[in-house]
Amino acid sequence: MSAVTAASARRRMVRMPGILKYSLIALFAVPWVGVPLWLMVVNSFKTQGEAAELSLALPEQWAIVENFSAVITQGNYLTGLRNSLLVAVPTIIVVLLLGSAAAWAYARTTSRSFQFFFYVTSLSILLPPAVIPTIYVLTTLQLDGSVAGYALMMMGTRMGLVVFLITGFVRSLPLELEEAAAIDGASRLRIFFSLMLPLLRPVLFVGGVLLVITVWNDFFFGVLLLKTSANATLPLTLYSFASASTTSLRWNLVFAHVIMTSLPLVITYLLAQRQVLAGLTEGGLKG
Amino acid sequence: MVISSSTAPVVTGTGSRRAPARRGPSRLLRTRWFWFAAPSLVLVLVFFVVPFVLNVPFAFSSWSGYTDVISFVGIDNFAVMWERGILPNALLVTVIYAVIAMTVQNVVSISLALALRDTNRVNSFFRSVFFLPVLFSPLAAGYIWRAIVSSDGPVNSVIGWFSPGFDFAWLGNPATALFTVAFVDAWKWCGIATLVYIAGLNSIPQSMLEAASLDGAGAWQRFWRVVFPLLAPAFTFNIVTTLIGALSAYDVVASTTGGGPGISTVTLNMAAVQQFGLSYFGTASSLNLSVTVLVVVIAVPLVAWLRKREVA
Repeated sequence: MSAVTAASARRRMVRMPGILKYSLIALFAVPWVGVPLWLMVVNSFKTQGEAAELSLALPEQWAIVENFSAVITQGNYLTGLRNSLLVAVPTIIVVLLLGSAAAWAYARTTSRSFQFFFYVTSLSILLPPAVIPTIYVLTTLQLDGSVAGYALMMMGTRMGLVVFLITGFVRSLPLELEEAAAIDGASRLRIFFSLMLPLLRPVLFVGGVLLVITVWNDFFFGVLLLKTSANATLPLTLYSFASASTTSLRWNLVFAHVIMTSLPLVITYLLAQRQVLAGLTEGGLKG
Repeated sequence: MVISSSTAPVVTGTGSRRAPARRGPSRLLRTRWFWFAAPSLVLVLVFFVVPFVLNVPFAFSSWSGYTDVISFVGIDNFAVMWERGILPNALLVTVIYAVIAMTVQNVVSISLALALRDTNRVNSFFRSVFFLPVLFSPLAAGYIWRAIVSSDGPVNSVIGWFSPGFDFAWLGNPATALFTVAFVDAWKWCGIATLVYIAGLNSIPQSMLEAASLDGAGAWQRFWRVVFPLLAPAFTFNIVTTLIGALSAYDVVASTTGGGPGISTVTLNMAAVQQFGLSYFGTASSLNLSVTVLVVVIAVPLVAWLRKREVA
């Protein structure tokens, strides 16, 4: 181990001194991440006229309170937040729970029909969902345009990725634990809840991260499935808020809305970034 | 119920302790699996498979918001979209968009992964920084970059240092608009692709690189002859996911150009939403189906080819 690190350290020194390497990375990070985020934050603090210049300078006149309260009063923010939570929370819980139940079944059976179900479910990772016929299905179920219908569509189309990830994970687990529990007389349901779910925690975390990123940020399906502004999720409220001014965007308000729309995800990420990055790095390739 | 009994024969013999190890599940654990799979399966069937199958008849139907009658109209929807120039334009735009987004994203994230490969404090910090764009919605990413490349924005200002008075509308010119929009798509997803490549790089045994070094391979040769071939699974995964995502592009276009200037950035899904907005659900379905066909025609052979490369 130490030989390996010593060798790799030597090679790195021969190739490129650390300071030079990190200066280059930092130099790249400035326009790639720094400027976009700074431009957004600093201009959300400015008045409309000043933000129109889109400069990176600090505001001459601060308008933080005005801008962010405008997002709440004119930007339909609270409705959007409520609807986004109403979609994201049930979707994540249902997909992780039902997905792991199904994945357990797919991983522990060899029958043809189960393999077929597994392939059909996994196919939804590759093939883009057909949104417009979904509206027909939802109309038939009398859920057209509702938050519930949208959430159900999210569950059905995101299930594949989660089932695929978890099935791969279960296959790598030894069978002995489940057998021992069964021999001890635990019911299948009991084994699922008190043995499998805890064992699946790492892959459930990865699945949850991927779900929250795609569900919270979805715009395309929302545009087609959610009709009224009362049912709009955050990306939809952002879009109609930004489109409200026809001539040019009110950048201070658009950026304030973008910040508030992304904030729940960014805060969660900052709290759990180590686990998120490690989870995605280790779990990303299992498939 | 039928399925569970036909697929999980209950064998009442002994030997459940020894048999399972090789052939998979123990018979003890084999009954009633169906009820574990059923709820998830129902969601997938009703909200993914059924719409997916229905998309075919709808694409050939006159379904619209103007009449209650839905009738079969053959290839009319495709023919109309083709004659008006919407379909050929959208196909071309979508494919160019996908190729640009896929290329930019993978070149940047392989480079970042090579630079941030080792796990240490500084690298973790940078990985975390480069992951930030993933958290923003593609819609928000579109707004942010629309500001950056606007005529008063930072990009033009920087170019203005060298060429005073530089004032170029990146999104207002058909030649640069499509490239810029596709770039934003790549920017938004690079963070995840980087992590996948880092995982791939870390699964390559150090000893192979040492051996290549000892045999006199330079850095460039080591990358192309050793690292890149062994990175194949990560490469396949990233190429395919970015390609499929980009073929369904809509969000970034909506917040940057709205399809313009003219129709130079109208992707298939953008055209579908426009038709949907006009209440022409049949034509919208035909454009939606075109995305599916593109994915099947491009992505499936690509997966097969890349997979073969992995084995070889």
